[in-house]
This record gives sequence, structure tokens and C-alpha cells, in this order.
Amino acid sequence: MIERMVKLGVTLMVVGMVAALGLGLTYTVTRKKIEQYDKQVEAQACRSALPGVKSVSEIKEDKKLSSKASKKYQDVQKVFTCGKGYIFVVKTKGYGGPLTLAVGIDRSGQVKGMAVVTSKETIGLGSKALEGSYLGEFNGKTAKDRLKVGEDVQAVTGATITSKAVTSQVKQALEAFDLVKQ
Amino acid sequence: MNEETTGWQEFRKGFILENPLMVLMVGLCSSLAISTRVENGIFMGLSATFVLVFSNIIIASIRKWTPDQIRIPIFIVVIASFVTIVDLSLKAYFPPVYERLGVWIPLIVVNCIILARAEGYAYRNTVWNSFMDGLGMGAGYTMVLLIMGVIRELLGTGKIVLFDKQIISLGPFNPPAIFILFPGAFLTFACLMALLNRYKMRKKE
Repeated sequence: MIERMVKLGVTLMVVGMVAALGLGLTYTVTRKKIEQYDKQVEAQACRSALPGVKSVSEIKEDKKLSSKASKKYQDVQKVFTCGKGYIFVVKTKGYGGPLTLAVGIDRSGQVKGMAVVTSKETIGLGSKALEGSYLGEFNGKTAKDRLKVGEDVQAVTGATITSKAVTSQVKQALEAFDLVKQ
Repeated sequence: MNEETTGWQEFRKGFILENPLMVLMVGLCSSLAISTRVENGIFMGLSATFVLVFSNIIIASIRKWTPDQIRIPIFIVVIASFVTIVDLSLKAYFPPVYERLGVWIPLIVVNCIILARAEGYAYRNTVWNSFMDGLGMGAGYTMVLLIMGVIRELLGTGKIVLFDKQIISLGPFNPPAIFILFPGAFLTFACLMALLNRYKMRKKE
């Protein structure tokens, strides 16, 4: 009995190991390309988060500000700057996994726009809180706003968790803005 | 019968006799969802064929020492590995396609065509026959996706766009968008099924 269990276990382990080896190889080969692609997606999202920015080349990540902001606000990943203002890339836990948004804030500290970088929210439910009509509600918010779901921000029906995630991301971006603004 | 003729038969049956979508009726949900465009059909078909062929080969070649009790977990590991390979490669080399097919690529893992072929065919047959079976099933699957894609894209958008080039245009008319929505998938699929059944009945008579 025990002998048979061991045999089954070992067989499964061998199969798993071979599979892992193959996957590891594929991952190494494709990693660079995928990173490049992810960067491109991020840059595009950042560009569209701040109205008035016409091309990706206008914005640039400020590494110093990035590390300064993410030290205090763990969810803030990167800070991009340009003449018009700042763009914060904020990553939190959504309903379906990590949810990354780009939040555009102008020099006066007002939210000007937002864009989704990556999302695994359920299509048709959580994704409703990532549509332009909902994200637009945050335009004009500043660090002075409380940004609490149920008070000054409404949650989308069926997308409560995603709405909360989005709200907390805007909040963090605004707080990070106060920290890094010059 | 020698090896080659059987192999050829295994390949051919995937088209009509045992077409995975139209006859075996497995793996329907992803095919109904993505057949909105011909281009999606091409890439989804190729991805599924790749996974089918390679998982069939591997499963047929290790079938002798695969213990019966744990064959399903082993199949799933093999299938999932190939799906992940497709997933990563598409993302790296064809990002626009990857974005459009989205969640359906990882979901090939649970596409019943692949598990059904592994369990129902590759586990009991030689490597060569399993290879031909995978190829035929994949080709039959791709064929149906293409037919559905052509119908739905043409009727639903009024034109067919392949790799950013317009191939066919129906000219100025207002296309009924229902064809690229879910009801259109069912309508198209039902009509195809009806045609195939008619063909089969005629043949029987």
C-alpha cells in the first residue's frame, strides 16, 4: 500500500519536474519581450491618464520620486512626470488579482484622469468600476477629499471590491503627490 | 492495414466524421466566444492545435508507465504546460492577438477537446496515430472556427479584416451587430449544425 503510494507520488513528481523545466526555459526565452511589452502598455496607460499629453515620449519616470513615494506608500509603484503634472502607477489587490492603475494629477493637485494598466477583474462585474464613466467621477478630487466609499464616492453595483480598490488607489496617489510635489 | 493509412484516417476523421465541435460537441464555449473574427479563429485554432498535438504526443509516449489512478493529474500537468508555453509565446511575439484572445488562451487547459483526446485517444494509441489524431482534431476545430468567423465577421461588421488589411467588404449597408454578439454565435452554430445534419441524412439515404 505505502509502496504504491510512494510510486504514484514519485511519478507525479517526475512529471511535474519535467514540466517545470520546460516552463522555466520558455519563461527565460520570452521574459525580455514580455517585459518590454508590459512597459509599453504601462507607458500608454500613463499617457492617457493625464489629458493633454500627446505622446509617450513626453512623460518620463522619475526614479528618485518613485522610490521616495513607494517607501512611504507601498502601493505606489512608479511616478512619471511631465510638464502638465504627475502620473502615479498604483498597484493594489482587486477582486480577481492585482489591479494596476495610472492616476494623472496636475500641478495643482487635482486628479485629471485615470487609466487601467493591468486588471484581472471579472468582466461584466468588477470591470464596470474600471470604465470611463466611473473613473471619471474622480476627476477634480484633491488630497482634501475624504475619498471613502459610501461617503463622497459611490460604489458600482456588483463591483464593490473593485470600487474600493480604485478609491484607495486614488487616495494613495493623492497622498503620494503631496509627498513628491515640488 | 499499415501504419500510414491508419494515420491518415485518424487525421481525416477530425474534419467531418468526428469533428470536435460539430459532432463530438466538446470545447464549445470558447469557440462560441472567440469566433467573432476570422483572425481570432486563426490564432485560437493554431494555439489549440499546438497544444493538442504536443499533449497527444507526450501522453501517448508516456502512456505505458502512467499509473491508471493518477492519469488525469498527469494529463492536466502536460496540457497546462503546453498552454502556458503558448500563452507566454503569444504575449511575447503577438501582443495584439494576446490581448484580444485574453483569458481564452489560459482556458485552453480546461477545453474539453484536449482532455477528451488525451483520455479517449492518446492514452490508448500509438504516438504516431495520436499525433495524426491531434493534428486532425486541431484542423477540424480550426476549420469550424474559421467558417464561423467568416460568417459572423462578414455579417456582423460588413467586412473582413485580416492582419490590418481589409479582405472583403459588403459595401455600404448597416450590419446587424447581433452576429458578433453572443446570440449570433448560437445562431451561426445552430445553422452550421443543421447543414451538417442534413448532409449526413442525405448520405444515409
